Amino acid sequence: MPLIDRRLLQNFDWTLLLLASVLVALGIANLVSATHGTTSGDLSPEVRRQLVSAGLGTVGLVAALLVDYRRLERLAIPIYLASTLLLASTLVLAPVTRGNSSWLTFGPVRLQPSEFSKVGLVLALAWTFHRHPPQEMRRLRDLWRPGLVIALPVGLIVLQKDMGVALLTLLVGATYLPFVRVPWRAWAAVGVAGAAGLVGLWSFALAEYQRKRILDFLEPGRDPLASGYQAIQSKIAIGSGAMFGKGYLEGTQTQLRFLPTQHTDFIFSVLAEEWGFVGSALVLGLYAALLLWGLVIARRSKDGFGAMLAIGVVGALLWPAVINIAMVLGLAPVIGVTFPLFSYGGSSLIASLVCIGLLLNVSMRRFMF
Amino acid sequence: MRERVTAGKEVVIEGRLWLLGLLIFAVFAVFVGRLAQLQIVEGAELRMRSEQNSIRTVRLDAPRGRILDREGRVLASTRPAFDLEVMPSEVRGAERTYRAIGQLLDTDTAGLRARVDRRRGRERFQPLLVQADLPYESLARIETHRYALPGVITEVRPRREYTGGDLAAHLLGTLGEVRADQLERPEFQTYRQGEVIGQTGLEAVLESSLRGSAGGRNVIVDVAGREVERLDEVDPIPGSDVTLTIDLDLQRAAAEAFRAESPEEPDREGALVALDPRSGDVLAMVSRPAFDPNAFAGGVDAETWRSLTKDPLKPLQNRVVAGQYPPGSTYKVFLAAAGLETGLITPSSRVVCPGSFWYGNRSFKCWKKEGHGAVDLHTSLVRSCDVYYYQLGVRLGVDRIASFSKAFNLGRLTGIPLSDEKPGLVPSSEWKLRRFKTPWYPGETVSISIGQGYDLTTPLQLAVAYAAIANGGTLYEPRLVLRRRRSESGIDETKPKINGAVPVKPESLALIRKALAGVVEQPGGTGSKARVPGVPVAGKTGTAQVVRLEHFEGVKESKIPRQYRDHAWFVSFAPAEDAEIVVAVLAEHGGHGGSAAAPLAQKVLAKYFEKKGVVPPPKPIVTSNTPHEEDEDPLIEDAPEAATPDTAVGGSDAAD
Repeated sequence: MPLIDRRLLQNFDWTLLLLASVLVALGIANLVSATHGTTSGDLSPEVRRQLVSAGLGTVGLVAALLVDYRRLERLAIPIYLASTLLLASTLVLAPVTRGNSSWLTFGPVRLQPSEFSKVGLVLALAWTFHRHPPQEMRRLRDLWRPGLVIALPVGLIVLQKDMGVALLTLLVGATYLPFVRVPWRAWAAVGVAGAAGLVGLWSFALAEYQRKRILDFLEPGRDPLASGYQAIQSKIAIGSGAMFGKGYLEGTQTQLRFLPTQHTDFIFSVLAEEWGFVGSALVLGLYAALLLWGLVIARRSKDGFGAMLAIGVVGALLWPAVINIAMVLGLAPVIGVTFPLFSYGGSSLIASLVCIGLLLNVSMRRFMF
Repeated sequence: MRERVTAGKEVVIEGRLWLLGLLIFAVFAVFVGRLAQLQIVEGAELRMRSEQNSIRTVRLDAPRGRILDREGRVLASTRPAFDLEVMPSEVRGAERTYRAIGQLLDTDTAGLRARVDRRRGRERFQPLLVQADLPYESLARIETHRYALPGVITEVRPRREYTGGDLAAHLLGTLGEVRADQLERPEFQTYRQGEVIGQTGLEAVLESSLRGSAGGRNVIVDVAGREVERLDEVDPIPGSDVTLTIDLDLQRAAAEAFRAESPEEPDREGALVALDPRSGDVLAMVSRPAFDPNAFAGGVDAETWRSLTKDPLKPLQNRVVAGQYPPGSTYKVFLAAAGLETGLITPSSRVVCPGSFWYGNRSFKCWKKEGHGAVDLHTSLVRSCDVYYYQLGVRLGVDRIASFSKAFNLGRLTGIPLSDEKPGLVPSSEWKLRRFKTPWYPGETVSISIGQGYDLTTPLQLAVAYAAIANGGTLYEPRLVLRRRRSESGIDETKPKINGAVPVKPESLALIRKALAGVVEQPGGTGSKARVPGVPVAGKTGTAQVVRLEHFEGVKESKIPRQYRDHAWFVSFAPAEDAEIVVAVLAEHGGHGGSAAAPLAQKVLAKYFEKKGVVPPPKPIVTSNTPHEEDEDPLIEDAPEAATPDTAVGGSDAAD
């Protein structure tokens, strides 16, 4: 049984691949500028790392689309458990970096298991929603299965003290909420419980620096040199790009290291400074198009698992982007979350490309039965 | 893969998919809107901020040029001073930091706390001055603890230092921040707000030479505002050194002369100026009371400023050029010159002085009640007979007196390069009509004939006029600047400048010089306290009335309240022929010229000739048998020798 037959090639989703490739390429070009001048050589180590990751991600993408997603369904739970185990291992193995311990280091390779756990989570959620269709969920307690699937990694991430990613994982799960039929009164109850939970979180679970970040967001001028400074500098960088930007490699804010974590979380501000409104709106447009295209794939999918998988992948790509862009634009507190496909970060890029692979997988096999 | 490999149920998503799509669309629309707000609406402002943030230009102040005396000795220089500053944005642990600064500097830091807290926004990235010019011990203490006090900075800056303190305060002047009204003027267009510039005295006049030009350094600053890389640097060009005509030794002697004899008495007030009559060079210029210009070097504090401006003795005024006083009897030489030139008097023509002069139904008294008897020109000056000049003045008339006075440069600026110079006043009938809308009364001529009434002169004007008598008639513009060093190679010499010549025949000037020498050297002369052994000194005493003396008639001088006492003048030159130095002294409320002012001039003259080696340093010669040396009072001293009865008593040459 050949893995690829002619019909698969005929139905291959070039639009999606093109959108994803353009975003990755722009991300790397942007990274070149962000790290420009830091080393005497032509390419900074960050760019090399990102290129290697893009290569590995392409391998992951191909692997994710070669195996029929209906076969992947059977592997969904093992993959989910494996990724969760990897996540759990960070608690034991990971060194603490910048306040959270979410990295695994194996010699030169550093992994962020929370990125890969998203893939496992999406597969597991699609698996459970395929067995227990969301339109049949009419009471809150009907949500216990997907709730359990989400709670396991979220709990582990909370233990890593990475609140941003924990929130993100919750939001990925929440992507499915429009499809369940739980009445609004139940959601009101959830809202009250959630608010109570937030107060508890603020008082007991959040570390001082995390509270400070949130306060900095609420009042940016509070301490311009601390975490709020990044947000202010980011806003200045973006705004100074004006309509057409300062030109590639010409951004003074980013070239002069005003953005401390510019090539990871604030990379979008580099783009906005150098390419202006035109360039940054275009990238946002491309990204929105990719997400909407993911929904089209979900709609076209002829089976429940494919549709649920596509929706999960859209959620996994949507929420980190929303948080990242909102943060960079000064609309949300500073949370260490990447802009998928575009940001610097090997784990994120590989995981995102695997997600794209899954989407392509669903898309190209939509006529297969 | 042809059959379904899993046992899933039918999933219905159609109905709700649009909700997710709408969410995605809405979120990205918000983002694009936000981008438009930041980049298009606020774009220009934020771009400006980004440019100010990245590259910062650090100003490098040019050290101000030095001011040197004519022998190259330093009067004003620039030294490095350490200023303690706080960068509000970098302070960690405010409470602890301020407490530490307070302990290290031994000062109260409550005010500092408030000043730092007042800083908002971008101001927090600019350093705030805590204390200028740290003493060495404080600097050492701060430096050893600075590693634990982030945000505490010590900056080294050039600071003006006046070596002699108040020695030449008025001449050198003061520095101060450039004022808002100055910044609007074109000559100050290269100045920035907050810059320190010369505000008074030579510091102001020589500003363009002394200032130099500031350099700058472009630096890249990091997130914390710290310098991470220097891009380029333009070295500041130090200001030019300026060499003055002042002789530090004479300046010191002059300042010393005003010092009170005993520490509990206050120092004398007044002015002294020494000129070289051959060039107009100002050799010494002292005004008292004075102030310490060092207090202005880093910006004067409000309290010091208030006490200086409120002081009734006006310590900020340079009395040499801005103090206008009636010239008193020093004015008589100009009448003498006018009388000789107009032919109204000859050297031998005599006037009988009965002790008073009747004019217009009024008696004008000679300072000597008994009268001087028959007085010729020479004696009239030596004894300072008032009646002689009352009569001469009336014959000359006010307008001829005025025109001769003006010919001696009185009543107008001498042209000394100091901005606060005053012109004095030479009254004339036309002036009075214009000023008071009343005609000149002939009786007023009697008063001005002995330098009272409306006449006003500055010490410098008298020095310039007497220099013309001493040098044979040349009026020099007083010169203060000998040369300016433009750069390493270029030197700018200042040439003596002649303002004209007095319209008096050399023979007449010679007669006057002879008489002025008599004032000092001759028995019975009023200026004997100015004698310098080995050098013939010429001079004229004078007393400028403050209030009409009838009020204190018969009251002993020491009993008269200080502010009502007369001003004492002494204007002198030496040697009497071929003079090398002119010294004019005004002792404010000093009493009489001969006793209060002449000794001050003598100290400067003595110093000058001591330096020249003409006179050996004064030795304690036994003087008991030489009445000339025992000058408790010149007139008492002269009395035994005096052939004429008019020198019998009195310590005064005052008129009226």
